[in-house]
Amino acid sequence: MPFQQSSTRARQRTVLLVGIVLLLAALVLAVVLASLLTHGKHEDSPKMLKWKDRGTTKNLQEVILGRCYNYITERYPELGDKDCLKIWESLKDAFIYKNPCNITAEDYQPLMDLASHHIPCNKSLFWSKTNDLVHRYTKSNQNFLTLEDTLLGYMADKISWCGDPSAPGINYESCPKRSECESNPSSVFWKMASKMFAEAACGVVQVMLNGSIEAGAFRSSSIFGSIEVFNLNPDKVSEVHIWLMHDIGGPQSESCSGHSIQRLKNILEERNFKIICEDNYRPVQLLQCVHNPDHTDCRLCTNSTAVP
Amino acid sequence: MMMSLFLPLLLVSVLFMNSFSEVRGRKWKGEGTTQNLESIAIGRCYDYIRIVNPAVGEKNCSEIWEAFKSAFINKDPCSILPEDYELFINLSLHTIPANKSLFWENNQLLVNSFADRGRRYMSVGDTLFGFFGDFLNWCGQANSSGLDYESCPTTMECETNAVDSFWRMASITYAKHSSGEIHVLLNGSAVGGAYPQPSFFADYEIPNLQKDKISQVVIWVVDDIEGPDLDSCGIHSVKTLETRLKTLGYNVTCTDNYKSVVFLLCLDYPDNSKCALPSF
Repeated sequence: MPFQQSSTRARQRTVLLVGIVLLLAALVLAVVLASLLTHGKHEDSPKMLKWKDRGTTKNLQEVILGRCYNYITERYPELGDKDCLKIWESLKDAFIYKNPCNITAEDYQPLMDLASHHIPCNKSLFWSKTNDLVHRYTKSNQNFLTLEDTLLGYMADKISWCGDPSAPGINYESCPKRSECESNPSSVFWKMASKMFAEAACGVVQVMLNGSIEAGAFRSSSIFGSIEVFNLNPDKVSEVHIWLMHDIGGPQSESCSGHSIQRLKNILEERNFKIICEDNYRPVQLLQCVHNPDHTDCRLCTNSTAVP
Repeated sequence: MMMSLFLPLLLVSVLFMNSFSEVRGRKWKGEGTTQNLESIAIGRCYDYIRIVNPAVGEKNCSEIWEAFKSAFINKDPCSILPEDYELFINLSLHTIPANKSLFWENNQLLVNSFADRGRRYMSVGDTLFGFFGDFLNWCGQANSSGLDYESCPTTMECETNAVDSFWRMASITYAKHSSGEIHVLLNGSAVGGAYPQPSFFADYEIPNLQKDKISQVVIWVVDDIEGPDLDSCGIHSVKTLETRLKTLGYNVTCTDNYKSVVFLLCLDYPDNSKCALPSF
C-alpha cells in the first residue's frame, strides 16, 4: 500500500538523518578533544627545559635593535659604522636553539668583535656592589664609562635571554640561574664583556667599591675581583683609583686601610699598577646626598639656613 | 700664467656651485629626521613596557608607532597640530603616579638626572609617550609616505611642525594626568626668567592641570652653581608664577636652591664653596 511504502521511506530517512547527526556529533567531539589535547601539550611545552630564573625578555629583538641604534645615534655618533642588524643576529646566533648550560666564549666571539669599540683613556670606571650608585653617577657625569655605558653593556643591561634545543629556540618562560649551571648565556656574556672592558682600559682607571657591606669591599669571587683586575693591561693602564664609598648613615665596615683593600692593593702592585685609594670620593658622595639632603653628613658648610 | 690661474679658478667655482646646490637642495633649516627612527622608537616602546616601567602593562608598540606616524606622514610638515597625535596618545597613555609629576623649564639634563628614570619622579620624558620621542627629531613631506631625513622645519619657520606639536600634545596630556603634590624645577640663572613666557609650562601645562586632583604645587628655583642668581622665589618671573597659580586656587610653596638638586649640580663642581661638605 502506498501509505505504508511512504511511511517506510520516512522511517528510513529518519534513521539516515539520525545517523548523520550522530556521525557529525562524533566528528565535532573528536575535533574538540584533539584541539584540547594539543593545546594542553603546547601549554605544558614538555620539550622545553625548565629553569629557576626569569625567562628571555619579551620583544628581545626590538629592544636590542632599538638600544643599539639609540646608542650610536644619540650617545656616540662616532660609532656610526656599527651594523645593528648584524649585531642582533650575532647575539641571537650565540644562544638560539642551544642548550643554555653549554654556552662558550666562542659562541659570543662574533658579537664581541662586532660590538666592541674604543674606550677613551682615563674614563673606565669599574665597580663592585655599587650598581645603583655607580650608574646614577655616570648618568649625571659623562666623564666616566662603566661597562653598561659601552655599546655591549648598554644593549644587555637588565635584559635576560637563553635558548632551548626545541622550537622556537628561545625560552621565554625561564632561564638557568648561575647556581644551576655556570656556562649559561648570561654569565658567559658578562664574563666575556667584562674581560674585554678591562683589556680595553687605558690611562688612569677608577673602581667604585662599597665600604658598607660586611663581606668586605673587595671580593675575589666578584667579576671585578676575578676577571677585571686580572685583565687590566699594565702596558696601557698606569694607575688604579679606588673610590671606597660608605652608605650615608650606613656602617663603615671597611675603609682604605681595610683588609680586603690591602689584598686588592697587593694584587695590583704585583702587576705594577700604581694605586690611590680615597674614602668617600667627594663627587659621588654629593650624589648620595641628593637622596639624604638632611643627614648630618650632608650639611653644606655654606648653608645659610638654620640647621634644625 | 693664464693657465696657472685657470685651474684654481675652476676648482673654486665648482666648489661654490656644489655648496650652492646643497643649500638649494635642503628644504628647511632644521636637522632632518633621526636615522633609524622607527627602530629606535619601537625599541624604546618595548624597553619601556618590559624594563623601565612594566607597571603600565601590555601595549602594542607597532600600533603605537603607526599612530605616531599617521600624525605627520604624507602631510605638509608645517601643518601638524597637537590633535593629530591624539590616537598616539590614546594608545600610549598610562597612569602617572600621584605626587611624582615633575615639571621644568631650562634644565632638561638636570631633570633627567634628578628624576632618575621615573624612580624618584616621573617627568614627561619618563612617561611612555615622552620616552618615545625624547631627543629625537622627525618630519614628513607632502605627497610622500616617507620621512624627510634631509631637513625639517624649525619653530621659527613654522610653529605647527611635527616635533613641536608632539611636545605640545605630550605636555597637555602630562598636565591633565598629574595629581597629588606636583613639582616644578626652574632655573634661577636663566636669562629671560626662571618662569619663561611663552613656554610649554606656561601655555600648555598650567592651563591643563586638573585643580581638583592637585593638592599642592611645589616650586623649586635652583641657580647654576657658577651662574648668576637672576631669579628667586617671590620676585620677578617666579612671583608672576606664584601669583598666577594662587589666583587659580592652588596651594603653592616655593624654595630657593632646594638642597637635593644643588647636590646634583655640585657633581660637576665638587670644589666650589657652595658644594663644601663637612670634612670627615
